[in-house]
Amino acid sequence: MTSLLLASRTVRRYRAQTVLAIVGVAVIGALLFDMLLLSRGLLLSFSDLLGRAGFDIRIVGGSGLAARLPIEGSASLIEAIRALPEVERVGAIRIQGATIGSPGKRPAAVTVIGATDAAEGAWTLVSGADLGSATAPCPLLVGRGLASALGVSPGSILELSIRPPAIRSVVPPVACQVVGVARFAFGASSDDTVATTLDAFHRANGEADPGDADLIVIASRPDAGSARAVAAIAAIRPGVRAYSNDQVVEQFNRNGFAYFRQISFVLSSLTMVFAFMLVATLLTVSVNQRLGEIAALRAIGIRRGSIASMLLWESALLVGAGGLLALPLGEALAIGLDRILRQMPGLPEQLHFFVFETRALIVHITVFVVTAIAAAAYPVWLTARLPIAETLRREVVG
Amino acid sequence: MTVIDVRDVSRIFPMPAGPVMALRGVSLTVSAGEHVAITGPSGCGKSTLLHLVGAVDTPTSGAILFEGRDLARLSEVERGNLRLTRIGFVFQRFFLLPMLSAAENVELPQAEAGVGAPERRARTRELLAYVGLEDRASHLPSQLSGGEMQRIAIARALANRPALLLADEPTGELDDRTSEHIANLFDRVNADGTAILVVTHNPALAIRASRRITMASGRMVE
Repeated sequence: MTSLLLASRTVRRYRAQTVLAIVGVAVIGALLFDMLLLSRGLLLSFSDLLGRAGFDIRIVGGSGLAARLPIEGSASLIEAIRALPEVERVGAIRIQGATIGSPGKRPAAVTVIGATDAAEGAWTLVSGADLGSATAPCPLLVGRGLASALGVSPGSILELSIRPPAIRSVVPPVACQVVGVARFAFGASSDDTVATTLDAFHRANGEADPGDADLIVIASRPDAGSARAVAAIAAIRPGVRAYSNDQVVEQFNRNGFAYFRQISFVLSSLTMVFAFMLVATLLTVSVNQRLGEIAALRAIGIRRGSIASMLLWESALLVGAGGLLALPLGEALAIGLDRILRQMPGLPEQLHFFVFETRALIVHITVFVVTAIAAAAYPVWLTARLPIAETLRREVVG
Repeated sequence: MTVIDVRDVSRIFPMPAGPVMALRGVSLTVSAGEHVAITGPSGCGKSTLLHLVGAVDTPTSGAILFEGRDLARLSEVERGNLRLTRIGFVFQRFFLLPMLSAAENVELPQAEAGVGAPERRARTRELLAYVGLEDRASHLPSQLSGGEMQRIAIARALANRPALLLADEPTGELDDRTSEHIANLFDRVNADGTAILVVTHNPALAIRASRRITMASGRMVE
């Protein structure tokens, strides 16, 4: 007859308390689990987005990743980088505000991406063909939302005018053919994005030459790795702002996501204090209700260790059942909250706030094990110090 | 052979209103196979003496020897082992675990003593038959009458074959007819060689003992 059997029978005996404890722990645990998912969710999702594009190094022109300034002398830099043995692919990207519309219709404000063939990867083709396989002088990939709003599909003609919507320009709009519909990795669900070739981009912009890229994306050779490739790039042009994906993620982790980590740490700690208090209180009440019984057990020779073990198992059963229930509950809550948060304007459509990772599950389980032990500590102490004779006497008098 | 030897034992309880002297220089011996009853008015120190003999309390002065071993020299663990294997306790309020069946309650001290499952099941069947409740083995205490619960409690107390059975008002919650059954059971246990020290208000139970001791104001008076 084990302590676990005694504990399981006891939690069944006090059904109302057991249900209350399990439901309470499940709700608190769900919040904890969500906090754990939130604490690193954006970072993981962002890292996943970066990796999904197929490039592991980015060169920007500004002093930070957020700034979007042309990279001076980008054409020669790209040629030099392409020649490096550590590099597999190099792509150039330009990004600008533009207007687009069907001939004779009111144009819509969009973000236009001009990219070389090698830079394709910043989007996922939904239908039609990619830019590389198109023969039209101005092939166009249109974001899903925009294609739906404009009612266009592959083969449609749209007029592209690369300039911010409020600025007049003498450059006439360029007729572009929609070759495909795409989902842009960093495109917001509300944001209308189109992509074309770099050649078509600078022609639509009325430029004589392709101009400086806003972003250079590089895929390092697997045997070289991004760190070696970044070092090689820095060697050919000192001062260049080349960042590996890991560095980009680290920079966002330090600057952009610190608030989430701090908030989730504070809320996680609070939720666990509540879980501890709930289980400790219910266990203490339960122990106080059966002090006579426990004193009698001690009188017939049941050891302190056995009773402590029984109480630990009771705590583990309550916290464990609640903690397990917390996982699907937390996951469902995370899906709902993620859906709400992703509606914030300007966020990349594929960015998530709550992302499951094994680490979160391990932390969740560890925290619950610690909580179960801590919650049982006071009732165990109470029974260990229980004066047997006095308690039996009190029970009879009572 | 002397099972228990109480030598000039006193027990003082510190209370807010001043110390209460529950026992004053009590001496008592119980030999193997003896049946001793302690009677007396409430508050005379009967239960206190029983708790001291049962190693769940310690005297303020004096010495208690159990099978020749001084209880004061035993550690808490050793006292626990003594209670588990050499002493059986029967309480007025039975104190069966309500979530365990009758058989499981009888098995509990055996499991704690490390008796293997087949052996303890056999012993439990034997004990349930001994107290006449073999057909109630799977019943929970809540499904048993008061008399049946006390018989199960006696079976539990006998589980590890103790040398001494201590009973504190074992018929205190039972009617006369059921008390008679319990008294008969004690007689049988004693006849089978287990020493019994019973504290009781019940004259019908006390009269079955081979020796009767009356207490008053913490002293043995006859």
